[in-house]
Amino acid sequence: MSAQPFTSESYSGDVRERAWQDVLRGFGLECLGSRSGAPVQATALWRLSSAGVRLGRVSADAPILRSLPSRGGLPLLVLPVESSAVLTVGDERQIVRAGQIILAPRESDWQLQFQRGLRALVLSVVPEAFRGRKAPSLAACPPRVFAAEGLAGILAGTTGAAVGALDRLSDPEWEAVAQSVAELLLQLSADLVTTTADPSSSRAALLQRLYAIIERSIGREDISVAEVAQAEGISERYVQKLFESTGESFSHYVRERRLQRAWHDLANAAEAAVPISEIAYRYGFSDSAHFSRLFRERFGLPPRELRRREATRDNQAALPNGQRGWPQEALAQLRARQARADPDTRRIVAPGGAARPERTPQAPMRHYLPVNAQNIHWGYFSRSLKPLIEIASGDIVTIETLTQHASDDPERMIEGDPGAESVFHWTPGSKAVDRRGAGPMDASVFGRGAGEGFGVHICTGPIAVRDAQPGDVLEVRILDIEPRPSCHPDHAGRVFGSSVAAWWGFHYSEFLDEPHPRETVTIYEIFTATDEPHARAIHSYRWEPQTDPSGTRHALYDYPGVLVQPETILPRPNVLEGVRIPLRPHFGVIAVAPREAELVDSVPPAYFGGNLDNWRLGKGAAVYLPVSVPGALLSVGDPHAAQGDGELSGTAIECSMTGTFRVVLHKKADIAGTVLADLTYPLIETPESWVLTGFSHPNYLAEFGANGQSEVYAKSSLDLAMRDAFRKVRRFLMTTKGLSEDEAIALMSAAVDFGITQVVDGNWGVHAILSKRLFPDRA
Amino acid sequence: MTKHYLPATPETVHWGYFSRTLAPVLTIRSGDSVTVESITHHANDDYERMIAGDTAAEEIFLWTKDEKTLRRRGAGATEGPFTHGAGEGLGVHLLTGPIAVEGAEPGDVLEVRVIDTYPRPSANPAYRGRFFGSNPSANWGFQYNDLIEEPKPREVVTIYELDMGEASVTALYSYLWTPQTDPDGIVHPTIDYPGVRVDHATVVRKEGILSGIKVPARLHFGTMGLAPAEADYVSTIPPNYTGGNMDDWRIAKGARMYYPVAVAGALFSCGDAHASQGDSELSGTAIEISLTGEFEFVLHKKAELDGTILEGLTHPLLENDDVWSVYGFSVANYLSELGPDHQNEILKRSSLDGAMRDAFRKLRRFLMTTQKLSEDEAISLMSVAADFAVTQVVDANWGVTGTIRKSLFAGR
Repeated sequence: MSAQPFTSESYSGDVRERAWQDVLRGFGLECLGSRSGAPVQATALWRLSSAGVRLGRVSADAPILRSLPSRGGLPLLVLPVESSAVLTVGDERQIVRAGQIILAPRESDWQLQFQRGLRALVLSVVPEAFRGRKAPSLAACPPRVFAAEGLAGILAGTTGAAVGALDRLSDPEWEAVAQSVAELLLQLSADLVTTTADPSSSRAALLQRLYAIIERSIGREDISVAEVAQAEGISERYVQKLFESTGESFSHYVRERRLQRAWHDLANAAEAAVPISEIAYRYGFSDSAHFSRLFRERFGLPPRELRRREATRDNQAALPNGQRGWPQEALAQLRARQARADPDTRRIVAPGGAARPERTPQAPMRHYLPVNAQNIHWGYFSRSLKPLIEIASGDIVTIETLTQHASDDPERMIEGDPGAESVFHWTPGSKAVDRRGAGPMDASVFGRGAGEGFGVHICTGPIAVRDAQPGDVLEVRILDIEPRPSCHPDHAGRVFGSSVAAWWGFHYSEFLDEPHPRETVTIYEIFTATDEPHARAIHSYRWEPQTDPSGTRHALYDYPGVLVQPETILPRPNVLEGVRIPLRPHFGVIAVAPREAELVDSVPPAYFGGNLDNWRLGKGAAVYLPVSVPGALLSVGDPHAAQGDGELSGTAIECSMTGTFRVVLHKKADIAGTVLADLTYPLIETPESWVLTGFSHPNYLAEFGANGQSEVYAKSSLDLAMRDAFRKVRRFLMTTKGLSEDEAIALMSAAVDFGITQVVDGNWGVHAILSKRLFPDRA
Repeated sequence: MTKHYLPATPETVHWGYFSRTLAPVLTIRSGDSVTVESITHHANDDYERMIAGDTAAEEIFLWTKDEKTLRRRGAGATEGPFTHGAGEGLGVHLLTGPIAVEGAEPGDVLEVRVIDTYPRPSANPAYRGRFFGSNPSANWGFQYNDLIEEPKPREVVTIYELDMGEASVTALYSYLWTPQTDPDGIVHPTIDYPGVRVDHATVVRKEGILSGIKVPARLHFGTMGLAPAEADYVSTIPPNYTGGNMDDWRIAKGARMYYPVAVAGALFSCGDAHASQGDSELSGTAIEISLTGEFEFVLHKKAELDGTILEGLTHPLLENDDVWSVYGFSVANYLSELGPDHQNEILKRSSLDGAMRDAFRKLRRFLMTTQKLSEDEAISLMSVAADFAVTQVVDANWGVTGTIRKSLFAGR
């Protein structure tokens, strides 16, 4: 499983203590003596391996750590960090310095006191982690402190490094690390035994050495008692006796270990292609039928069945952490294919450009773009799309847009609406808009559907702007926004929206309430005909796996436009009762086509605009976008009725709307000396301010090259976005306001407000707001 | 209810640290109001405008070869030899206080209402009645290692004047910081110790800067908070669970701040006043100015918190007429989470990503506890109606606020 962060701050006072003790209980520990009068303040980061290895760091303002009584398993490893602790066993007290290791058998009674509050690394390994290999019995051993040298030093170092990287390791990496620290712990535990004086422990140590010999020769069919006895210089009889003392014969133990290790290999996804007979042979079974019979007797299922079950489980385990964007390997394959085939975009620009309507140059024309399956592209931008219309600078265009979340409540948001029905039409035999996202049409990466949902927004367009050339700037000014009313007879005239707390949300890695994780859809009604336009929640439901008309099951919200079947979900009324959310109608996506790639995922915003998700882009505002392909190719979509700065859950109140825009082309030659000079990013203008858009990666397509559409999801950070926003504001003030660098920096600190745009669109955003009031005497 | 007046004098200020060991300079009761004078620690950037003629400021900043009124500046070493000076500048803000509140105990919450703020006029006859502030672009600023013009790196101090009639601030002049030698002979090549008087003979003034630009005034105290319980001397720089150097300009007239009490008496101090600041405080400082604040204090006892917005509060909370804001930090309580070397460790943890995560958690908890929302409701509401903003990226423990409008809940 992935690394689990914990902080007591997440919980309200009364459950804080319990939540914290739950974390410790996982390790078999408890923590006592919190600072008087205040609830405990604790943090932890831990991770659990499939074999039951649990590793993490814990810190709290409470001083005492002790074990919960339990039996079996390897001793707990506790490693105090940064300050020392006092280990108390019975009446004996011993100081443990930071960096030393304590091995504490679970059966024994001990406690650790941290003067400055608990801060320690903890490793806990269950007996099952070794799959039948015997761990030494440690019931009689007291806890012991090891200086960080030799094997203990290696274990301490490995543990520290592993904890440091805990949240960055991939699942297979973590499994390997977990197994390694478990092995080291097993080895060091043997020392715990050998140093005790009583004869039973030296016998236990000898047994451990015999076990180790068996592990080394386990692949040989003919491993014998004689051989093992000889290696340790003892009699065969004594070997037999030692094994009998554990309640198990030598041959039985060897067979058990062979079966366990075969089980482990069979369950390993990386070895799924290795024939079963070969794995049997690996562990000394030359007859695979014999092996299968023994395996079935031991584990209750044949080897083949185990493999099948594990494969299914792996698939399911992969689900809750859905992946956005292209996986690296798939991108590599795509590049190989692209060398051979043209991209499969729906409409390719006709050579020679679109026909120009006759008209007088000065009078701005009005255009209307209805939304339907022919007028949209879904989930991607492309420089190769043929424009729907060509307009001139200064023209006014009214553009209908649909939210891709209309499918969350088809009755309210699709049914009876010819435009929406046209776009969302999807039956077993026909799918009106097949490509949804920039992925492969054959869905060969994840199998979600054509385009793979690498990009989700329904975009109306593109619109070509006459004479637009790279280097120009396109001004898109929003004159009006009208919501799109429901056409269903039961809801006619009313307006609805949906907000999904989705797997790409900021919250998804850390839920408080069960089940973990989950996706929740909240349906809102939008009220515009009042003095204070607002949204109210109608009901919410948990996402349940949906099977689309093509037969693909979507356990997660991983493909746009899958119509939610009402009978599969359980709407819960009375959500956000009495809460009124003021509207902030805006378009999440306003884009011109990027130049770098043929098909670009619509999710990460960048220099060309796109999924800006800034609610300031509403009526009365404008966005200036740098043109990078001839004709600019403007598209609009992802309408939002309201959104907060951050867009925390992954979506806003997604609601179909129609916008009226005035589109003005600013030619490169005319923009020197204006605020648009040197513009290389989306610049938003509101009546009161300039809003500059910073991103983790301002042009991820250029920065990461061919891997951009994968890397941008992996490497996002507000710190990077803040840095980008800072640099953009500095340049803006220096270039367009003629300030020196020092003046620009002074002004930024005193008067420019930086805010968080979104933390959910792959390429995270920080915007900077410059009040126009700052410059009363300037242009 | 009693009204008190707490002037800034050498006896009523402490410099660069919070401490649970400080004796209160004033003890009040819940419900009392106090007018507190504060003097900016950047006053010596322009002695003539911000100190000369102001007896209290002159005494506080007094530092000659033989005499230094406030020796300790910061939570660092007080025994030499020093790198920067006594206290080592580990914490820089000149704070007035602490004020003890009778009966305050750990677990309680102290409410501080900002009734009003007034600038402190210059007492130099040449500038009498005018208000001045200073804004250094300093070595701890976000820009310092990312400059594009020469010389690199550099620190620049800009002196501003506040016009209360227009409620705006304009720049007067700026100068490049040059190494300054303090009266003890220690050279300060960068701004590394507070209260070093800048010798204007060593700097070159640049006039006519930021011409025509008027920065709207946002009078506020950058640092207000209570003594933490974890250590005897705590640097004033990183904000933390008991408040401190929050640097949020919304903590202004009309705001109510709530702080969890960590030590008996609460021990409130304030200072680090600003004439204006943008969200992020990018260059390391705001327009640092001396202000006098009028505050009202209300103690909320632990037993009375349940069922109020203060239930389960373990971090600073802002309330004004329109909103509630929770304060997220890179590390929620760096004193307890980062161990004994927390002053240095926090510098490695500075991150908006951490602060965003903390703000999310705090706002979720706030909504669930005080508005009785389910987790799913809280998450949906945060996405569609809560605004997350950068507070500062220069105070070691970086800040993100999560703000939610009170009007959302008018119908509940």
